[in-house]
Amino acid sequence: MRLVLTLLFFAVCVAPPALAQDVDNSEVERFQLAESLLQAGQFDRAIPMLEDLLASSPGTHVFYERLRQAYEEVKRYDEAIALVERQMARATSPEVFLVEKGRLQFLAGLESEARSTWESVVARQPSSPSVYLMVYRSLLQVRLFDVAIEILESGRERIGNPDLFRTDLAQLYALTSQLDKAVSEYLGLLASNPGQLSFVKSRLGPYMTDSSAIASAVPPVESAVARDPLNRSYRELLTMLYVELERYEDAYQVVQAVDRLEKEEGSMLFAFAQTAADGGAWNVAVNAFEEVLKRYPASPASPDALRGLGMMQEKWAQQFAAGMEPDSSQAHYSAALATYERFMIDFPQHAHVPDVLTRMGRLQQDVLGDLESAERILSEVTARYPGTRPADEAAFALGQLAIMTDRLTDARIRFTRIVTRLRTGDLADASRLELARLHFYQGQFDAALQLAEAMQENSFSDVSNDAIGLKVLINESKGPDSLHTALRRYARSQLEIRQQNKEQAVLTLNFLIDEFGDHPIVDDARFLRASVLADLGRVADATQAYLEIPLMHPMSFFGDRSIFHAATLARDQEGDQERAIELFERLLSEYPRSLLVQDARTAIRLLRGEQV
Amino acid sequence: MVAVLVMAAPKALTAQDLLVPMDNSQTDHLKAYGLVYWSLERSVEVDWLLNYRGGSFLMPRTGEVESELRVRGISYEALSASAAAQVMAEVQSEDANTSVVRLEKPPEIAVYAPDQTLPWDDAVLLALTYAEVPYEMIYDEEVLAGDLGRYDWLHLHHEDFTGQFGKFFNYRSTAWYIEQQREAELAARRAGFRKVPDMKAAVAQEIKAYVGEGGFLFAMCSGTDTFDIALAASGTDIVPSEYDNDPIDPDALGQLDFSRTLAFENFRPIFNAREYEHSDIDSGPPPPQLRNPAVDYFTLFEFSAKYDPVPTMLTQNHVATVKGFIGQTTNFRKSVIKPNVVILAEAPGRDEVRYLNGTFGQGTFTFYGGHDPEDYQHFVGEEPTDLSLHKHSPGYRLILNNILFPAAKKKKQKT
Repeated sequence: MRLVLTLLFFAVCVAPPALAQDVDNSEVERFQLAESLLQAGQFDRAIPMLEDLLASSPGTHVFYERLRQAYEEVKRYDEAIALVERQMARATSPEVFLVEKGRLQFLAGLESEARSTWESVVARQPSSPSVYLMVYRSLLQVRLFDVAIEILESGRERIGNPDLFRTDLAQLYALTSQLDKAVSEYLGLLASNPGQLSFVKSRLGPYMTDSSAIASAVPPVESAVARDPLNRSYRELLTMLYVELERYEDAYQVVQAVDRLEKEEGSMLFAFAQTAADGGAWNVAVNAFEEVLKRYPASPASPDALRGLGMMQEKWAQQFAAGMEPDSSQAHYSAALATYERFMIDFPQHAHVPDVLTRMGRLQQDVLGDLESAERILSEVTARYPGTRPADEAAFALGQLAIMTDRLTDARIRFTRIVTRLRTGDLADASRLELARLHFYQGQFDAALQLAEAMQENSFSDVSNDAIGLKVLINESKGPDSLHTALRRYARSQLEIRQQNKEQAVLTLNFLIDEFGDHPIVDDARFLRASVLADLGRVADATQAYLEIPLMHPMSFFGDRSIFHAATLARDQEGDQERAIELFERLLSEYPRSLLVQDARTAIRLLRGEQV
Repeated sequence: MVAVLVMAAPKALTAQDLLVPMDNSQTDHLKAYGLVYWSLERSVEVDWLLNYRGGSFLMPRTGEVESELRVRGISYEALSASAAAQVMAEVQSEDANTSVVRLEKPPEIAVYAPDQTLPWDDAVLLALTYAEVPYEMIYDEEVLAGDLGRYDWLHLHHEDFTGQFGKFFNYRSTAWYIEQQREAELAARRAGFRKVPDMKAAVAQEIKAYVGEGGFLFAMCSGTDTFDIALAASGTDIVPSEYDNDPIDPDALGQLDFSRTLAFENFRPIFNAREYEHSDIDSGPPPPQLRNPAVDYFTLFEFSAKYDPVPTMLTQNHVATVKGFIGQTTNFRKSVIKPNVVILAEAPGRDEVRYLNGTFGQGTFTFYGGHDPEDYQHFVGEEPTDLSLHKHSPGYRLILNNILFPAAKKKKQKT
């Protein structure tokens, strides 16, 4: 309202006599009344007032504008069109009114007439870009995107300037799901101003949801790159599209070229390698890391690339291990170790050295089983870089290594030192748990209990669950004699497993089961024995051992999981699908409230070949 | 409607039957419906024991059915012939408000929804998917092509038959809204309509005709009120220019024809484009003091199982009180409900209906307010509800009661 009155005031005071008649005070008052009626929805009263006002003051634009809007509000399109035509007859430049007329004709359902009117506007001034834009905006108002595209394209052709209307056309193409054409327009924009890349990316972002649409946008960008290989913005746009489509290999080729052309010294390649590794494109990531190392051995990105390559090989190995492919897993662990060794040769003074050495030591210890090398490397870290996080991790690993080599006193000293030094944190908590376990292995159950109880207080700790498990095991498995011989044997078998002496562990467990057949720990012992047998590849023995448990200990906590493991062995190791289904179904029948029933149901359906 | 249902005669009980209880002892209420559907697909007839232990199911015992029950995690009881006979006698006793309905054939189910993925969940799709009941997706093109006749049951969820794109005006710049609007406009043009609201009105009329010819319509959330608004306003522009580029008819209110609607009358559409509400049919979410999942609930009416089997089937549940949940359309104002419509559930102490059923021609329709029975207030962009965490959902059971309802019908559709 304020705007309207301002306009009116402007019309009264400023407008030259040639354009507007004088507006007297009574007209202002009547106009205000008409405005109020319009706002109240009383169009039937407002329209005659506005008609009178315009008749008395035909040059006052605001009277015309309000009357046209009022006609439109009540869908009196014929009268609105007639009004526009009358006003147009008075105007020296009719284009604005023609555009308005076209829109009103469209709203009135006269689509072909509307098209003709819009075309007549551009026909009057075919070389004026502003006329095309005027028509385009009118078409946008009625959401005729396809027609708007036609108009702008024809305007560009008639004027003979292919750079005209680029962003408008690009937006229209994107709105009509023609991402290829939208990208072509943006490429034109980038050709003249590569600095607009961020703008282009942000405009395209909302439309990057459909992979087929993204794929359609690739060829024009590829052509642009081929045409102008030195335009970095083209290549970065192409990389974005390839990464969205998970075409990492293609993206890599582009990044390689940019890195070379722009003398990035490997930084762009390194960033891309990490993106590819995050996306699981391991091979591409390896190549990208290697490229950095090969082309820029002296660049700041090189040590990061070498360490990143080793870490990625470790992740790759873990993925194979999870997928039950031990050979491939081992190969990638070896590759990781070789990469770290190379790091030590190439960058012996780099800040990453303690971390890389610790990683090497852990690999030797946990994966490759070369305990001697592991100890040597880890000791070097603790000696050369005391007080650092890698040194603490190495000290912890050395404690675990001491357990594996049956140097339990040495292990205790190492863990105690870590606890004393760090007090809090994940490594301190893990060391406390290892101390509790050491007491447990050595039959010092009261000491183990005391430590476990202290640890369970901190429920935020990652190891508190393990501590609670240890405490429950000890509390439930003491006796029958004062030396707790059964529990002692069980602890011994666990230590033997940890020391990779699994055949001996089976013997220890057999002895325990034979000697203490009705002791509460026997079902634990049977379950542990079955899992060790499975680890040793003795599948038939393991299956038998698992299936004994629900028969011998029908109320055991291990009953459902024993059947589940037996079914898993039948499925994965023996390839006997029918047997596996039978066992999974047995789990459902005998333990319907087990936590494993959902997994069993899913397994059955997958084995039946159903979609889950 | 009662006449077309098969009230089961005492059947020749097999040597042993399986009872799938639907009371609190059931381990997975929702999957039980899928198992019944699965049985019907294998020509195993199932008796629905209305009001007996939460609306239990009785079926012949076979190894295959028993195995499937176990695999799907549905609890059941094996009954001897005499025990089964005793159950049937109890259910058919004149003294008890129970009865038996024979389920004979699996209904062909269509869900009316666009191909486009929209950033909210669809409670019926979730229920059907979780219960493992097969369905087909159809949308405007198929409806206008006359494909509805192939289906026994049609579902509508968060749909806007007024053609206002859900009145998500605040989301008009998002990719999903742009795509939704563009797809709808193209579909309208392909179908020969100038505007989306015109096409949607035609779709609503087709669906109404489908119901008239014997189809079953189940609608939720904004699929309920917008359906009737579109029917009442057919031929009248009630859509503000923000959605269809031209203003509403000046006499839009006077031109509404309530004789064309299924469930509601004398309502008033809301013409404000920015108000996230279509009409005063919806009473909106509960008042602020009650807008709390802990105190918001609605109660199911109890019907005579022997004389009113249809509403009884639709309200089968293991609870009488169901948790409330909010949607774009949450509760229906009682004053705008047509007198011949049966109220199935209402919010106590408020003049609001949550769940209703009615007949039109030879078919029937059921409207259920709210968006997602297990997500009190589902927001745009939120993750869909994981029904494996809500296996006993009474609110979702009401949806699944509807899919078995057509299975109880014996007469073939006239479509």
